Amino acid sequence: MTAVIRAEGLTKFYGASRGISGLSLEVEPGEVFGFLGPNGAGKTTTVRLMLDLIRPSSGRLELFGLDVRKQSVAVRSRTGYLPGDLRLYERLTPRELLRYFAALRGLDGLGEGKRLAERFELELDRPIRSLSKGNRQKVGLVQAFLHRPDLLLLDEPTAGLDPLVQITFNELLREVAAEGRTVFLSSHILSEVQRLADRVAIIREGSLELVEAIETLRARAFVRVEATFAKPPPRGAFAGLPGVRELERRGPVVVFALEGPADPLIKALARFEVLALDSHEADLEDFFLALYRNGASGAL
Amino acid sequence: MLSSVFAKTLRERLRAFRWWCLGTLGFVALYGSVYPSISGNKSLNDLIKNYPEALKGFIGFGGNLDIASGAGYLGSEVFSFWGPTVLLAVAISAGAAALAGEEEHGTLDLLLSLPLSRTRCLLEKLAALVCETLALAFVLWILLVVASYSAGMGVNAGNLGAAVLVLLLFALDFGVLALAIGAATGRRALAIGLSATLAVAADVVNALAPLASWLDGVKLASPFYYYTHGDPLRNGVNATDAIILVAIAVAFAAVAPLLFRRRDLAAP
Repeated sequence: MTAVIRAEGLTKFYGASRGISGLSLEVEPGEVFGFLGPNGAGKTTTVRLMLDLIRPSSGRLELFGLDVRKQSVAVRSRTGYLPGDLRLYERLTPRELLRYFAALRGLDGLGEGKRLAERFELELDRPIRSLSKGNRQKVGLVQAFLHRPDLLLLDEPTAGLDPLVQITFNELLREVAAEGRTVFLSSHILSEVQRLADRVAIIREGSLELVEAIETLRARAFVRVEATFAKPPPRGAFAGLPGVRELERRGPVVVFALEGPADPLIKALARFEVLALDSHEADLEDFFLALYRNGASGAL
Repeated sequence: MLSSVFAKTLRERLRAFRWWCLGTLGFVALYGSVYPSISGNKSLNDLIKNYPEALKGFIGFGGNLDIASGAGYLGSEVFSFWGPTVLLAVAISAGAAALAGEEEHGTLDLLLSLPLSRTRCLLEKLAALVCETLALAFVLWILLVVASYSAGMGVNAGNLGAAVLVLLLFALDFGVLALAIGAATGRRALAIGLSATLAVAADVVNALAPLASWLDGVKLASPFYYYTHGDPLRNGVNATDAIILVAIAVAFAAVAPLLFRRRDLAAP
């Protein structure tokens, strides 16, 4: 089966400054593909290259086996796009905007828009300029799904959505995937991608760090434990503990990555005077910290 | 109503367009009501005869300075200054808003994520620009016809139409130029500033040409020359002038998609 997205050595420079470099990946039909990275890593650049809004410096990029430059209109007719920085026609109402976009996509009326607007409880007849951030984001989502596209390019889709609407959004993504359609989900939030994606690529400073199934990533997940001591403990005091790695030291504060049972670490900590203890599931930043502690080989 | 980029663009422009029409009505009414007190006043012509040559170049539409006649009056007052200003303002603002305005506002990102080629988008915006400027020229023509008859200026509808048509073509040159600059750069202020500056330069070169012989060749590059030198208020449309003005607009319109297609669009 043809990959829905195939990038080979995709590189984009803006003048001398980096967008992305040497990006290669394939996304299969029916996948929810997470594209994870901190802000400025090149996520938006990648998505805008797919839509031919910007042009690659080098490399190849095909969607549905079509060249995104030469067959751009055909590519875009099968794609729905939610920009990371959504700008809408302020004077229109959502109904007018959706009707306009539906017309430009060759659809009658609102397409799927009416059904989706009901589902997201989006008011259709108030001017967009009077809508809250969350409601604008709903307009952006509805227009992206309007024509039942084969591929959804969603750049930070849950920004500004309240938790209840996020649940609706999650359900919608699962349905889309179940229908064999494909989602390319760009995000800087690890937990969001973990919850929704089948596979994930991690991008940092314009380059792919790793591409993995979400289960593999989850298996690598760890708990971040931050301990504040009365006095900085000697270096090497926590070496060799099973499932425990030191990530970072800042004076009396030591940050650990913990995989598996907490007991060995707790016992080791108890030998010192601990003033404070904080632990939570690792987020993306912790992940990168762990990644770079171990070199860029990808071994966490 | 919102079935195409063309229709959407026209609808967006309609709000401001109503004010342009109202302003045009006001000015034409003012010029019409002042004319009777100037008509046949030969001493005014004598006064103008003593104007510096440089000034005469700016107000003598088609080289004619008989301000006491209807055609001379309209030429100096409406077609030398106020008419071009209004039509240029509308055409240039529409041209700059078309692509650069939408790109700066950030909506172009979403619009061109739809299955719409950049050339198609540009051409629909161009068509809207032409329609809007044409509509205002039409309104101007009707109002001038009414003013000419009611104030007894003695310029017939055909010659007024000829002058307005050449004025329209002249304004479109700079409107399309603004659209092309916007297409090439995505910068609205640059599109407005550069087009307006060139329009003023075109007027100045043409007006000062009689004073400096070296400008004689340069004025042939000025659209203002083709707009005025045939004196359309008296002679009707000069076909060569009209064709040259159309050719200039077509040249800008032909280059614009080439520049627009090849570049990166700015992220919102």
